Amino acid sequence: MEFQFGEKEERLRTEIREFVKAEMPPHYIGKYFEEETNDEDWAFSMAMSKKLAQKGWLTMSWPKEYGGMDASRWERVVFAEEASYWGIPGLGMGISGTAWVGPSLMLFGTEEQKKKYIPQIATGEPDGVWCTGYSEPDAGSDMAAMQTSAIRDGDAYVINGQKVWTSCAHYARWLWLACRTDPEAKKKHQGLSLIIVDMKSPGLTVRPLENYVGGHVFNELFFKDVRVPVKNLVGVEGKGWSQLMTALSFERGTAIGTTASAQRLLDELVIYTKGTGQIKQPEIRQKLARLAIDIEAARVMAHEVVWMETVGKPVLHEPSRDKAFGDMLQEKLGRIGSDIIGVFSQMDPAAYKNRWSRLRGAFEHLYHYNIGFAIAAGTTDTQRNIMGQFGLQLPRAY
Amino acid sequence: MDYSIGKEQEMLRKSAREFFEKECPKEKVRELKTDPRAYDPKMWKKMVKLGFQGLAIPEEFGGMDGDFVELALFMEEVGRNIVPMPYYSTVALCALPLMAYGSDKQKEAFLPGIAEKGDIWTLAQTEDKGNNEASEIQLTAEEKDDTYLLNGTKIFVPYAHVATRMLVAARTSNEDDPQTGVTLFIVDPKHDGIRIEGIPTVARDGRCGVVFENVQVAKADILGPVDEGWDILDDIQQQGALLKAAEMSGGAQAAFEIVLAYAKERKQFDKPIGQYQAVQFRLVDMRTDLDSLKYMVRKAAWHIAAGKPSRLLNSAAKAKANEVYDNVGHYGIYLHGAIGWTEEMDIGLYHLRTRSMIYDCGGTDLHLEIIARELEEKVPDFIELWGSAS
Repeated sequence: MEFQFGEKEERLRTEIREFVKAEMPPHYIGKYFEEETNDEDWAFSMAMSKKLAQKGWLTMSWPKEYGGMDASRWERVVFAEEASYWGIPGLGMGISGTAWVGPSLMLFGTEEQKKKYIPQIATGEPDGVWCTGYSEPDAGSDMAAMQTSAIRDGDAYVINGQKVWTSCAHYARWLWLACRTDPEAKKKHQGLSLIIVDMKSPGLTVRPLENYVGGHVFNELFFKDVRVPVKNLVGVEGKGWSQLMTALSFERGTAIGTTASAQRLLDELVIYTKGTGQIKQPEIRQKLARLAIDIEAARVMAHEVVWMETVGKPVLHEPSRDKAFGDMLQEKLGRIGSDIIGVFSQMDPAAYKNRWSRLRGAFEHLYHYNIGFAIAAGTTDTQRNIMGQFGLQLPRAY
Repeated sequence: MDYSIGKEQEMLRKSAREFFEKECPKEKVRELKTDPRAYDPKMWKKMVKLGFQGLAIPEEFGGMDGDFVELALFMEEVGRNIVPMPYYSTVALCALPLMAYGSDKQKEAFLPGIAEKGDIWTLAQTEDKGNNEASEIQLTAEEKDDTYLLNGTKIFVPYAHVATRMLVAARTSNEDDPQTGVTLFIVDPKHDGIRIEGIPTVARDGRCGVVFENVQVAKADILGPVDEGWDILDDIQQQGALLKAAEMSGGAQAAFEIVLAYAKERKQFDKPIGQYQAVQFRLVDMRTDLDSLKYMVRKAAWHIAAGKPSRLLNSAAKAKANEVYDNVGHYGIYLHGAIGWTEEMDIGLYHLRTRSMIYDCGGTDLHLEIIARELEEKVPDFIELWGSAS
């Protein structure tokens, strides 16, 4: 038993903090999904991607031959903690790029694909920004029900259909598309394929979808006879489902980042309430203390999952547990923080530079965006279903 | 970072679990509810033979020299089986402070008795304000020649009626800051002037009221420095809170296993009740609470063992334990339906202990306040890096 990081990890932590001091505006607070919502933040995040790439941190978990660092799991934890605490933007290359497109291409891509696409991601180029097309209007949790088709015509696939909730499509250079190459397949999990689509292709339309607070994070994609060269097929035609499952397992992150960003916001609230004098009020003290307990709870669970992976213990329901708990934590944090900043919490999160906005709009943002987090990547209650079924071995409730 | 339990730790856990399962089945727990001693002296003696009382006591005083993590793991097992006994008061509340603050003479005189003979000890701290704060300590100790005269009343003192010795927190001087002027005395409960009466707590866990009338205690029987006993009590409170949290973690885990098994077996409308989402989600949330509590306790214990105790981690673990144990006890009964509310089911035995455990070494509000103070005093990383915002 040992509850501390090693020297190597602590050195990395120090190095990241030096980087933050040198490269980030003082008192910057990161906000999830903010970078996609406007050109100015996007430009800053792309500049940071480039700098992170130069440090080797953008794709630190990748093998060295692909521009990574072969970083250990605990080094990755430290990086995720620091990146989230300081709010370093630009880690994802359009969310998809570093997390699952790169690693999936390493496994299933052709040599040509690996040479062309992986370096663009690893070096933080604008051409390395990806978006992902899985969900459709009638294929949400039941993803295999997707209908968008890619039909072979000579040396091209002709794509028709619609994708939805496509984050970052408005900045992405490439699309990681799951679609149906065999509409005649007997079962819905069969006849699916993964195809790389150029976002500049004729016939492909991106329609922005604004969320309820006016933020533009995701989009709808419409395909009308979009022609894509056959060489853009990833892996084996018709075997898309198993490749997708692998890609999704890369997507299933840990709760390390959300925990560290919650820690930052708690720290901000402590300093803020010291400034306003609110910290002397017993009910404020109790709320802050309860947040500290929840953050510690989230942290020990997130670290447990990483530890399980390092010792080869099978990870089952634990990521669902941590997602559900993290959702609840963000909800509390959003509400408590908003209550603390009081009347100023009615500001539009996009107006964070306005003089009446407090703490760079962090709580106005969290208050509205935490609802989105609780829905994204499996709702809180979907995670509870998974835990009940697989963690507690109870009969399926849904 | 390593969450695994070492070989020796695992052996200890296993032997403790097997011992308590064999020696203290639930029938025994029920029997002891009506036994005025509130523990089983035979089992207590067997524990001495296995070295359990001396688990964390150094070898030179007859102990096993175990560390704080082992002690916490042992407390998890005690909690699992809800064993009624004076272990916590003897070891957590007295042996540990004797080790840390006792003079060589005191250690030689008392520690081997605990480790090798099973002497029972207890701490008399709580008074009628009942808040575990320094200001509540009003029992007076007046200097008279080379003795002190103790006058006052302590309540909810565990196992005072069967104890060999008590640590008594008394006020030796009145200063503006109530944390100054507190002194700890080592007192024989059979001493002239001490009256002990049982308090009918719902857990029947040997709680006593202890009245002191001109009880004469020699200066040699003071633990630590005069007037500076609050620092020792604070230490007892921190470590004791964590060990109680470990006991509650083990207990809540066992209670959860009972209710989970019942939810799988009990059918209504032709389905196991655990299939209903309303029931299932309660169980799922309990599981999450138990996972986090377990590791919060072990992490805090590791920090103590490694010589870098964290008040935030200790108090967070106890505050969390207070809520989790209460919740699992309450809804553990509730999810059983009416049968859970009867005496014959084991789940209720766990919940009978909820209220006393919550207040052992500090209730939730007290620990929330400790956490708040830690937050207030710590300089957050972002301020350290960037300084204060303009």
